[in-house]
Amino acid sequence: MEPRVTSQPNFVNPPSLAVWVLNLFVLAEKADSILGDLLEEFSLLASKLGVASARKWYWRQTIKTVPQLAGVGFRTAPWMTGAAVAGGFLLRKLVAPLVDPSIFAVLERYQVFEHHFSTYRFFASTGLDVGHFITFLCIGFIVAFSAREREMVATMALGLIYGGMAVAGAVCIVTSTGDDATLWRLTWYFADSLAIVTAGAIVRTHRLAATSHPSNA
Amino acid sequence: MRGRDYLGEFEHIIVLALLRLEDRAYGVTVRQEIELRTRREVSIGAVYATLDRLETKGYVTSHRGEPTPERGGRSKRFFRVTAKGAAAVSRTHHALQRMTEGLGFTWSHA
Repeated sequence: MEPRVTSQPNFVNPPSLAVWVLNLFVLAEKADSILGDLLEEFSLLASKLGVASARKWYWRQTIKTVPQLAGVGFRTAPWMTGAAVAGGFLLRKLVAPLVDPSIFAVLERYQVFEHHFSTYRFFASTGLDVGHFITFLCIGFIVAFSAREREMVATMALGLIYGGMAVAGAVCIVTSTGDDATLWRLTWYFADSLAIVTAGAIVRTHRLAATSHPSNA
Repeated sequence: MRGRDYLGEFEHIIVLALLRLEDRAYGVTVRQEIELRTRREVSIGAVYATLDRLETKGYVTSHRGEPTPERGGRSKRFFRVTAKGAAAVSRTHHALQRMTEGLGFTWSHA
């Protein structure tokens, strides 16, 4: 839902990244009002104070407005959003234990250990992490598809839950065993949370593109 | 107490802004009016979240205007205070007056 450029010669667009972020969270029935208001004030500020000041103002508005939009998104459909998050959590519980055995089954099937040891070593270490990352990405897609219009709220909630669990688990391990090497694993766990949220952003962006106005020139 | 709810702080400010703006009240003008009079930057998200809540309570109503090119072809959403909303703001205002009676506030332009 990019703002249309008009034929007025001095029309300036607000920061497109900020507009994209707002579009990730705004509900369809509110988009016209909120995005239209921001564009109108942005244009006024750009003509009065210059484009740079107007862009800073637009980013401040975006950062302050996104949490409000997320809150409204959740409050107007708490059960659907909660069900999508719970479903994603359960799906991960079901699917995640299958990732490692599946990768090892493929490695065994094609006798990778015997014929390509370095490849085996890669897939048996980093490959497992990548496999989990892709699994979380797929779970994120499913959660986003089911949380219609609340894709970001649902995927961010699930990502925060997993991120929180990872931190809690790492802290428990480090304090009980003293092994702080576990902490470097947090980067992969945070990457898994990021995968869920990324999937939400992809689904949302795709849906917006599919329903956008016919002429965006 | 049912039917005798008081407005929250920001709800109160929003309704007062709508009363000042009359037919001109939509997101931009409401936000600018609040910023001008309270001297604090207010996000458009906070304005609409509060307006939606007030509309759910029946204190304001809204209608869509025509799309305009300076808004990228998007329409404005105008708001008006209902009789129920006017009663709520009056009730809240009188409650604040009774609470501050005799406290000796001096009004300064902070």
